[in-house]
Amino acid sequence: MTLNGTEILNPPPGVRPDPDQFVRAAMQWHFSPETGSPYWLHRAGSLGFDPRTDVRTHADLALFPNVAGELRDVPAQDLIPRGYGSRPDVVGVYESGGTTGAPKRVVLLRDWLDRMLAWSNEQLDAHGFPRGLNWLGTVPSGPHIVGEYFRRSAATHGTHGFTVDLDPRWVKRLIAEGRGKEAGAYAEHIVDQAAEVLRSQDIGVLTITPPLLERLAARDELVELVNKKVRAIRWGGTQLDPDTRDLYRDEIFPDTVFSGNYGSTMILGFAGERPGLGPDDPCVFDTLSPFVTFEVVDPEADGTDGTGGAYGINEPVPYGSRGRVVAHHVSASFLLPNNLERDTAIRVPALGEGPGDAVADIAPVTEFENETVIEGVY
Amino acid sequence: MAESQQAEYRKAESRIAESQQVASPPADLPPLDALDALDALGPRGPYRTRKRATVTDVTGTPRAELSLVPGLFAERTAKALRSAPPLPPDQRAAALGRAAILFATGTVDGRGIDEHERTVSRVSGLPLTVVRDATRNIATRLAAAHGSADRARPRGAVPSWREAAEGDGSAVWARRGEVFAVHAAGNHPGTHSLWPEALALGHRVMVRPSRREPFTPHRLISALRTAGFGADRVALLPTDHDQAGAVLRAADLGMVYGGDEVVRKYAGDPRVLPQGPGRSKILLAGDSDWRDHLDTVVASVSHHGGTGCVNTTAVYVEETAPGTAAAFTAALAERLGALPVLPPQDEKAVLPVQPAATAQAIARHLQQRAGSARRFSPADAVADLGDGSAVLRPAVHLVDGPDAPQLGAELPFPCVWVAPWTPRDGVAPLRGSLVLTAVTEREELIGRLLDEPTISNLYLGDTPTYRIEPGLPHDGYLAEFLMHSKSVIKTPSNH
Repeated sequence: MTLNGTEILNPPPGVRPDPDQFVRAAMQWHFSPETGSPYWLHRAGSLGFDPRTDVRTHADLALFPNVAGELRDVPAQDLIPRGYGSRPDVVGVYESGGTTGAPKRVVLLRDWLDRMLAWSNEQLDAHGFPRGLNWLGTVPSGPHIVGEYFRRSAATHGTHGFTVDLDPRWVKRLIAEGRGKEAGAYAEHIVDQAAEVLRSQDIGVLTITPPLLERLAARDELVELVNKKVRAIRWGGTQLDPDTRDLYRDEIFPDTVFSGNYGSTMILGFAGERPGLGPDDPCVFDTLSPFVTFEVVDPEADGTDGTGGAYGINEPVPYGSRGRVVAHHVSASFLLPNNLERDTAIRVPALGEGPGDAVADIAPVTEFENETVIEGVY
Repeated sequence: MAESQQAEYRKAESRIAESQQVASPPADLPPLDALDALDALGPRGPYRTRKRATVTDVTGTPRAELSLVPGLFAERTAKALRSAPPLPPDQRAAALGRAAILFATGTVDGRGIDEHERTVSRVSGLPLTVVRDATRNIATRLAAAHGSADRARPRGAVPSWREAAEGDGSAVWARRGEVFAVHAAGNHPGTHSLWPEALALGHRVMVRPSRREPFTPHRLISALRTAGFGADRVALLPTDHDQAGAVLRAADLGMVYGGDEVVRKYAGDPRVLPQGPGRSKILLAGDSDWRDHLDTVVASVSHHGGTGCVNTTAVYVEETAPGTAAAFTAALAERLGALPVLPPQDEKAVLPVQPAATAQAIARHLQQRAGSARRFSPADAVADLGDGSAVLRPAVHLVDGPDAPQLGAELPFPCVWVAPWTPRDGVAPLRGSLVLTAVTEREELIGRLLDEPTISNLYLGDTPTYRIEPGLPHDGYLAEFLMHSKSVIKTPSNH
């Protein structure tokens, strides 16, 4: 099938464009004065290369600097490509978690949301999530994109979406200030609310973060309720270590479908757990390639010298090794290549021919302990 | 100590000493084929995780793969332990006795005691003889744990509600919680001789071992399980650093070993008993000649390889004439300087060994802390063994006065600070001591030392600071934390 530029960038569901053609079409779109966003059209002047002629392949995305930090200050409307016309269908403006510094902003446009959702719903089917169930989401809403995806997933794959709100920034702040007890009390407050919904409503799908699931699993009554009512659990938002995942699947929720996703505001969505993994396989996440792609690169790269050019953050680690995750988002709605995530992961071959990597065993970037001597004998 | 208990204790000690002599030890550790797997010990038996830490010996050679459990597993273990009823008291005592023999002499998880001790020595860097002494001490204290724990029971309290008097009632000694968590120390195996008293009292116990030396608690807990406590009354839960809090949170009560920071962290938490630096001290008052007590000071500094909280960190010498403290320091440095530099597995080794990089870091820290203190030991405390490990040689310093900041610097090797002291300085410099040995007969001074609340144990005369007797409190009785007294009044029913 031959597609023209706009069609390559917006292929019909199920059609996978050639990744290099796709990248070239995206460069034409984002860096042409008629279709590009004010932000990228302005930024192009200081790139030191011309994306429309110099970026020929997916690998050439490495030419871009990591501009994620600039999204803290860019006016959100400047991120919308002009090609969407004067009345773009904006679902909302969303922000990153704000773990490191002020939050970064992105704009979610309708066509991308629909594409991500269609893919995600197919993934849920492949995992065995029954359609038409009621969903309960203990996920943040407000500025967090995950809340929007929850609502839309529940409405399209399920029937009704019940929510319990939470503010992850407040939790992070409490923990950073050493107020762990308050953070714990807040988490229990959220679980209390989830418990009320689980008791009174016919909930078939539970969407939850691993720390909250751990608290839920500490209450025998709730474990019983989940095992009685909930057919599938979708976890995400933070990492879940492999041993805890085993405990859920083998001992605590043995008859429940258990599936994770690895989301990031800066990719405007998430990667999904690969369906059909064996019990001893690591938890592998695949992206909606070529729109969202990961690379797992040398963890020593810091990516902070964003001066442009191929500056080494894209040196991949061998398959099976741990490295830092670099994410690219390339769609008509948004362009953010070379975003260095805070996470590390094991590099796994992507499904099909790529481009990009699948990732497994996500873990936060570890800080190495230095040789400080603590006095005393213990 | 009550005479019957004393007798029981001595009996256990000699029985264990006898059984220890049966096997003639092989020359050295067998060659490594595959790495030993040290599993967590959960409520349903050994639990091998995907996440593991490699335990290396002091030369950097891997010795075992330690399974690290997630917080959720700690939570579930606590739940299982809480729902397991305690054994009846006599069965607890019997099981502790069996565990003592098994730990000290038996084959546990396929490993004989000799291989175990050599592994512990290699991994901790403690001299082999120190590890063997620790085996004997752990076993004898284990055998005596039931009686020792009961020593803390208030005179007015009976051990069980069944024994409460009808009518006027009785105080009954009851547990403050059911599940007791321990963040164990890895400096010396002997630290594992304290927490089994909780088992004697009927608590269920979960131990988070030090990743430095998990072999001793692993063997001890395996032995306790085999001896009758089973898998759901005592558990071993190794975790990485960020899951450590989960073990404490899951339990009802906890004990945590650590430095000043740990003590500060848990100071306001009534559920946690912190075990901080020992900063044990010796006061040599002017009413006796220091020369008569030099042996005791040398032993107090260097016994256990100087790695214990009961090893002497500071010595205060009454300056009866100018230069007394300096003369004492010189004599002490000479004696400690004669201790041989040997790898830990050598039968004659007495000094602790660390990975070379750790030893260097400790030495650098010492140098910084020492500041203007006058050094009497050789300039370099580190003696490299050339195999990746290094011996820490004794460090002996003289400071200007009894308030010098160096006197609080407790380091895990024979490192001692000497200060001149006069009666005018009083008790203040001697505060904050796990053990204070006071060599004096001045009764007024002894009285003030006893009244000082931050001195945990007061030893008088020629008593080494490392002396520990079962049945006597270590830092208060552990049972003072684990138990409380409540009134039970039974009114007989009329029908």
